[in-house]
Amino acid sequence: MKWQILIDGRAVEIDPEDLEAVKEVEPGVYSVLLEGRSFEVRAIAAPHVLNVETGGRRFAVEVRDPRNASRQSRAATGSGRQSVSAPMPGKVVRVLVKEGDAVDIGQGLIVVEAMKMQNEMKASRAGRVVEVRVGEGDTVSAGDTLMVLE
Amino acid sequence: MFRKVLIANRGEIAVRIIRALREMNIRSVAVFSDVDRTALHVRMADEAEHIGPAPSSESYLRIDRILEAAKKHGVDAIHPGYGFLSENADFAAACEAAGIVFIGPTPDSIRRLGSKTAARTLAKAAGVPAVPGSEEPAKDLEAARRLARKLVYPVLIKASAGGGGKGMRRVDEESELDAALREASSEAERSFRNSEVYIEKLIDKPRHIEIQIAGDQLGNLVHLGERECSLQRRHQKIVEECPSPLITQNPKMRAAMGEAALRIAQAVGYSSLGTVEFLADIQGNFYFLEVNTRLQVEHPVTELVTGYDLVRLQLQIAAGEKLPVKQDDVQWRGAALECRICAEDAENNFFPSPGKIVQLREPSGPGVRLDSGVYPDWNVPIDYDPLLAKLVVWDENRDSTIRRMLRALTEYAITGVETNLAFFREIIDDPVFRKGCLHTGFVGDFFARRKPKSIPSQDLELAAALAAAAAHSKNGPAKNGQLTTRNQKPETSSWLADGRGSLLRR
Repeated sequence: MKWQILIDGRAVEIDPEDLEAVKEVEPGVYSVLLEGRSFEVRAIAAPHVLNVETGGRRFAVEVRDPRNASRQSRAATGSGRQSVSAPMPGKVVRVLVKEGDAVDIGQGLIVVEAMKMQNEMKASRAGRVVEVRVGEGDTVSAGDTLMVLE
Repeated sequence: MFRKVLIANRGEIAVRIIRALREMNIRSVAVFSDVDRTALHVRMADEAEHIGPAPSSESYLRIDRILEAAKKHGVDAIHPGYGFLSENADFAAACEAAGIVFIGPTPDSIRRLGSKTAARTLAKAAGVPAVPGSEEPAKDLEAARRLARKLVYPVLIKASAGGGGKGMRRVDEESELDAALREASSEAERSFRNSEVYIEKLIDKPRHIEIQIAGDQLGNLVHLGERECSLQRRHQKIVEECPSPLITQNPKMRAAMGEAALRIAQAVGYSSLGTVEFLADIQGNFYFLEVNTRLQVEHPVTELVTGYDLVRLQLQIAAGEKLPVKQDDVQWRGAALECRICAEDAENNFFPSPGKIVQLREPSGPGVRLDSGVYPDWNVPIDYDPLLAKLVVWDENRDSTIRRMLRALTEYAITGVETNLAFFREIIDDPVFRKGCLHTGFVGDFFARRKPKSIPSQDLELAAALAAAAAHSKNGPAKNGQLTTRNQKPETSSWLADGRGSLLRR
């Protein structure tokens, strides 16, 4: 039974037997020999995918193996709600909107500072602020929901 | 010479200074904030002292705590590195008052050269051309309007006490002036506790070229040639090189700029390392920009091309020794190139990416120097600059140096945090960069003309797929943000046992 691997959306099929060509040389670092050619590959788990780096390129990889083929990732869209989340750990320096505010596309919502750089997060579409979950001075982690728009 | 020196800094530059001290048999004292207890500079120093919480205003910028640590450890001198207190005249004076040598110029030199407007006046008096503009801080909007009209738009607003692009705004027309002044002024207040800003003419496609100078306390002064630092993002340098490709085309510029830099240094009786920054245009005209009265981030490119150890030179000068180099001794050999490796996402407007370094493979081999401040498992704090390391290479000429840099960048791997490594692999290989046609807007232009990446070879995809499958069969599917590729013994994965079974049954 073959495994289907999606590399940046392109499907590659591999035979589990081919894993003979792969050696884990350090944690998360793989040496792959393909017909005498040598590749070094780094695999880093990220939300919902595996980021794989080799030859100076990075690929988002999804592995579909036959035993849990029934599991399909669901796209997190469709509800009309949109959460604004922190792209990195940092500190909230300003909240520019409040609950109930109508916002336009491109309008500044919140300013997060990390490593001496301030970043203003903007609305990616028009809508209304339904919830603000953080206040000025709060420390946030990457991926934390800062506010919810609809 | 000193017996013991405290380094009032952190990261790669603290490590760099510790190395120089150790080579000179001088004991080193590191200082650290709460989040830096296990930082590389603390691990490498002979002695170390905690100086406060993570925010630099409560630790690395606290003159009182640093002097307390210096006294406790009985040091003869303090090296401020770059950034933090390195250009703070009050700190230099406080060291002096405490009977500790400040490794840098005198408080008077720092004051006279530190304010950009005062330095411009001084440069003009020394016969060095400056970019047309105001010497005085902009007082009110009306005066600013009159001046900007006289200079002809576009103009540039800059912070008097500024550096690193903080408090800087380009203004293309009068309607933008008011907002730009207010933004620049408040950013200057936040960054430097000084809201003064001034206005100057914007030079089109300028190149940033700076001259390294060194002067001793006996009045001897030399320049060590130039560095070109035209590749910048957010007004901060990311690639630096010596020689400047512009000066290679116009060899007389080096002596002319060097002499101009020395005239400014002579005017204040400068003693220490310093850098005089200029903007240059394609015709070879150059304009005084500012003086940095400290060691620069990019000092290694000068070290590789001239052969002098600048930190050692700086220590010798501070200890009162005679400059061991005369102008006629200085020779420039080959070409050096530096990339500033930062924890940031080049594909997302160079957004900072603090966090834990999971994997680290550092380049080495012929002509490669790595000044790094990090190690695997180190947690890059959110509180400071995102610079992780400086990759500096040397070879016979610019072309071979570029090839060597690309080779070193290929060896270099960092995972766990986003870095600008992939960006450097692309921009150093860019045909326009290779030709040496640089200007300070180069990075923006590069993104605009950049072609989409080619489709990767089938082999590369297959290798990636195989490794992904191997990682998957070891760890199970990628979970939401949880890194499972590390520290997990195969025995603990029931999934793996199942996987093995299914492989056998196949």
